[in-house]
Amino acid sequence: MTWVVWRQYRTQGAIAAVLLAALAAAVLVDGFQIASHWHSILVACAGNKACLQQQPTLVNGVVSDLPYLCLIVPVVLGMLWGAPLVAHELESRTSDFAWSQSVTRTHWLAVKTGWLLLAAAACGGLVSALTTWWSGPVNAMTGGAFAPGQFDTQGVVPVGYAVFAMALGIAAGAVARRSLPAIAVVLGGFIGVRLLISGLLRPHYMAAVTTYYHLTTGSFTPPGQAWVFSQGAVSSTGVVVASGWGDLYPALQPVCQRLIGSAPASGKSGSMSAVFSCMQAHGWRGFATYQPAYRYWPFQGIETGIYLLLAAALVAVTFAIVRRRDAL
Amino acid sequence: MSWVTWRQYRAQAAIAAALLAAFTALILVTGVQVASQWHSALTACTAAHSCGNLANTLFLGSHAVGFLVILTLGVPAVLGILLGAPLLAHEFEAGTSQYAWTQSVTRRRWLVAKTGWLLLAAAAIGGIVSALVTWWSGPDNALQADAFKPGRFDIMGIVPVGYAVFAVALGITAGALLRRTIPAIAVTLAGFIAVRMVVFFWLRSHFMAAVTSYFPINGGFNAGSAWQLSAGYVGANGQPLSLPQSTSGPVLGGVNGNGLPVTALPGQCQAAVGNGPFTPATYHAALSCAQAHGIRGYVTYQPASRYWAFQGIETGIFVLLAAALLAITFAVVLRRDA
Repeated sequence: MTWVVWRQYRTQGAIAAVLLAALAAAVLVDGFQIASHWHSILVACAGNKACLQQQPTLVNGVVSDLPYLCLIVPVVLGMLWGAPLVAHELESRTSDFAWSQSVTRTHWLAVKTGWLLLAAAACGGLVSALTTWWSGPVNAMTGGAFAPGQFDTQGVVPVGYAVFAMALGIAAGAVARRSLPAIAVVLGGFIGVRLLISGLLRPHYMAAVTTYYHLTTGSFTPPGQAWVFSQGAVSSTGVVVASGWGDLYPALQPVCQRLIGSAPASGKSGSMSAVFSCMQAHGWRGFATYQPAYRYWPFQGIETGIYLLLAAALVAVTFAIVRRRDAL
Repeated sequence: MSWVTWRQYRAQAAIAAALLAAFTALILVTGVQVASQWHSALTACTAAHSCGNLANTLFLGSHAVGFLVILTLGVPAVLGILLGAPLLAHEFEAGTSQYAWTQSVTRRRWLVAKTGWLLLAAAAIGGIVSALVTWWSGPDNALQADAFKPGRFDIMGIVPVGYAVFAVALGITAGALLRRTIPAIAVTLAGFIAVRMVVFFWLRSHFMAAVTSYFPINGGFNAGSAWQLSAGYVGANGQPLSLPQSTSGPVLGGVNGNGLPVTALPGQCQAAVGNGPFTPATYHAALSCAQAHGIRGYVTYQPASRYWAFQGIETGIFVLLAAALLAITFAVVLRRDA
């Protein structure tokens, strides 16, 4: 069976290998340039944080779209390899031939799904490894590896996404029995599940940490690559104003409002310090709600685990359907 | 033939209509919220005299809807994959072309009706999505002044219509040439991404000759909603100064893009500063020395007034590409034995 799978997929395998090699070459060339640029910035700034923040962005040009590419690789694999796996056999009636050989239907499906899931994991892992390495200097400069978008393209989660997308494609094909509807289901289902989990579930894998601080002693920034949910000030009665202070004025006590009114426009630190001490005196506290940086890998593990479980459930559905179905 | 096309695609049309209706409802509800948020923020900042830094402090809408709006970048590719690629490829694969092309309707008329209706549907879907996104992004465009910037330009105005028509035409052509659906889908996806990237990275900034404005080192230049291509400093001969990739030393100015590092100045100006940070006296000495050497800041950009011209040119390119692809499809289909 392994030999049959290889014969059936060698063209696709060769095309995928060529595309991955081209991607790797482009990423490696660009990545070394970014790394050396980052190194020269580090040398010039010598640990000066303000200096680091003044530097222009590290990435530009064609390769800066690499993370977006990384986001769509799983769904493309699920559409092109996963959805037709069972559906195209049924559509072209080759299942009649395939399922009436000495190899049992379970064995046939196990070997095919096994190799394709492995290929998806390998492709996802390879693209993710390249993106993770390439993003290293950007992560170090911006501290954003935990933020939505970056989190989704680095580490081990892309492997989970790829395996899930492939399993979704195989299951959709087995249910729909036609390739094209299965492809549409993969596209819609993958985007839907990803949006739901990253938007609604991921922030709650662990309870977020809230740190309070004195407004007068300056601002607090969660250390390292933390995922910051909200930052700002909260009054003794629970009124919350987000940092940036856009909505600060109407929320303040009249005493403190007058201090803003007299200050020249916008939040110059000198003028705001008087406002902050006034707020401090009236019971305001600064706060930051975030997921600390040390939870990055636990979150990666949890998210990957969720997608692998979903994939396992979908594969189980596929096996149930294919084994139950009559061959003719 | 129109009736046949409708019978074949009514399920897809119903699904597309339902999805579009859901998207419309979401965009309308959140769009009204965004507009009122923008209105109240303007009122509040006018009262507090802090409208100057509104762009840094105000976040309009929600991350989820904002992300959905960015996702509309993929709508043309999806249309090309699901509508365009199977149009001919699936007929060949299922053998139904033998039936379809042996009726009283000529092959040419069959193809004209099918491609015509599908391209029209693609243009309509692209146009509706783009109209909603454009309306929803109005306040954000006013706040960030970035409607011309890459990524924003691509999901608003009329270009999404051109992308949708091109993607569907590409799918139809790929199906006609490859005669199999899945390879046609792969080619459509890869081809669409590749053509979009080529046009964006190498052509779009050259649709018209960019404008360069010069300004004094300690001044600045506000190009409004323009698409800024590059910024820096030039010497008296008009050649850009080569700036170090990074610096920790003192810098002059620094409004558009980066400041001018003292280490990039002529030797005698550097001598006026000496080592260490600026004092007011050395800052003015360095500034007047640099100005005496004719050093000015520059910004190269496409002015905001060219926004619709660029939209028209980009749409025209993709519609022309679509027409060329359709010509190939007709040639292939009309030549082929049934």
